[in-house]
Amino acid sequence: MDYFKEFFKGVWQKNPILVLGIGMCPTLAVTTSASNAIWMTIATTFVLLGSNILVSAIRTIVPSHVRIPIFITIIASFVIIVELTLKAFQPDVYKALGIFIPLIVVNCIILGRAEEFASKNSVLSSILDALGMGLGFGLTLFILATIREVLGANKLFGYVLIPGMKPAILMILAPGAFFTLGLLLWAMNVIKSRKALFKRTE
Amino acid sequence: MKPADIVKATIIISVIGFISAFSLSFMKKITQEPIAKQEQEKKLAALALVLPGYTVQQEKTVTIDDSPFTYWIATKEENRIVKKAWAFLAEKKGYGGPVQSIVGVDESNTILGFTILSQNETPGLGARCVEVASNETFVDHFITKNLTSKEEVSWFQEQFIGLNASKHIAIHKKGDWHKEMKDELIQHNAVTAITGATITTKAVTQSIEEGIQKLHKALTLQEVQ
Repeated sequence: MDYFKEFFKGVWQKNPILVLGIGMCPTLAVTTSASNAIWMTIATTFVLLGSNILVSAIRTIVPSHVRIPIFITIIASFVIIVELTLKAFQPDVYKALGIFIPLIVVNCIILGRAEEFASKNSVLSSILDALGMGLGFGLTLFILATIREVLGANKLFGYVLIPGMKPAILMILAPGAFFTLGLLLWAMNVIKSRKALFKRTE
Repeated sequence: MKPADIVKATIIISVIGFISAFSLSFMKKITQEPIAKQEQEKKLAALALVLPGYTVQQEKTVTIDDSPFTYWIATKEENRIVKKAWAFLAEKKGYGGPVQSIVGVDESNTILGFTILSQNETPGLGARCVEVASNETFVDHFITKNLTSKEEVSWFQEQFIGLNASKHIAIHKKGDWHKEMKDELIQHNAVTAITGATITTKAVTQSIEEGIQKLHKALTLQEVQ
């Protein structure tokens, strides 16, 4: 088993947002600033890691016809742990992300990975899968958020970039999220098809 | 499905449910104290912010129009005259749920301070009602270390100071607030809306208008008693 491949597939080949097309709701909603994106990634990756480990550890004893309620119970417990921890020790982050922390429970990436990967593979490869998927999710979110924050608010991590310049507010609003995501998907597909073309000509 | 399968599935779900409930109650116990402390500190800091220079004497909760209404009575001695001020909880539904705030007013209904306690507005839009205005650039922060421009109060909340709460608070759409706007806005008893989040701004101004009416009702009630 190639562990590096297991880890890296979440970043590129099976990037949850750009290739699998799951987890779009937080992607579009919280990418208004780079720091929001980073905190969202930390919270989601923690839940993903926890649920992948547990789902994979109990995969042999879970009867397949009741697996979904069991997965959801596990995921929801981790989400509540994240929510309480942030509320207690990072109240500003909790305030900024608001409703999107409890909504991690319905993030398709987590249930999707539990169902598709963790319930069929060993604990170690599930850990790698979770970390890789988290990194892929985080990188996409971070690129999206950076583009949107720079263009839409003239800021990066809350610092003004060009004093006195009026930003293109559209980019921080909902349409800006769709534009940026569309461009990212386009870029991703261009690179992929170029690579495939090269392979064929060789 | 065999009966044995049903029993097995039931037992497994129950065990997992029990473990998760147990670990969550444990988690709740660890975080309960810090969260309660945070909320208490937040309330005290908010009261100090909305009633600058005053000392809070009393907290009261009364029922006005079938809903509970909380307000605080504060006093300040100035040239041997005791001045009174009040703070009250204002709440109104915004775009993503209730926006709750504390408003401090003096005897002439002028807003002394205003701060938002909780909100669930859209991050980047309505949630900017709690954003701290920062004009700091990377250069300021890392090279010249010029930190004087840093402001602690959110621009959206600061612009309410000095407005008359008992009159209608108008909403002007002038983009982000800055100090030069202040005189013009106070003349019209107006605030500038958060770009893309007029619903949030409206919820806040209406909650203040409704809150001050409730406060007056509560105060007349208090005098009758």
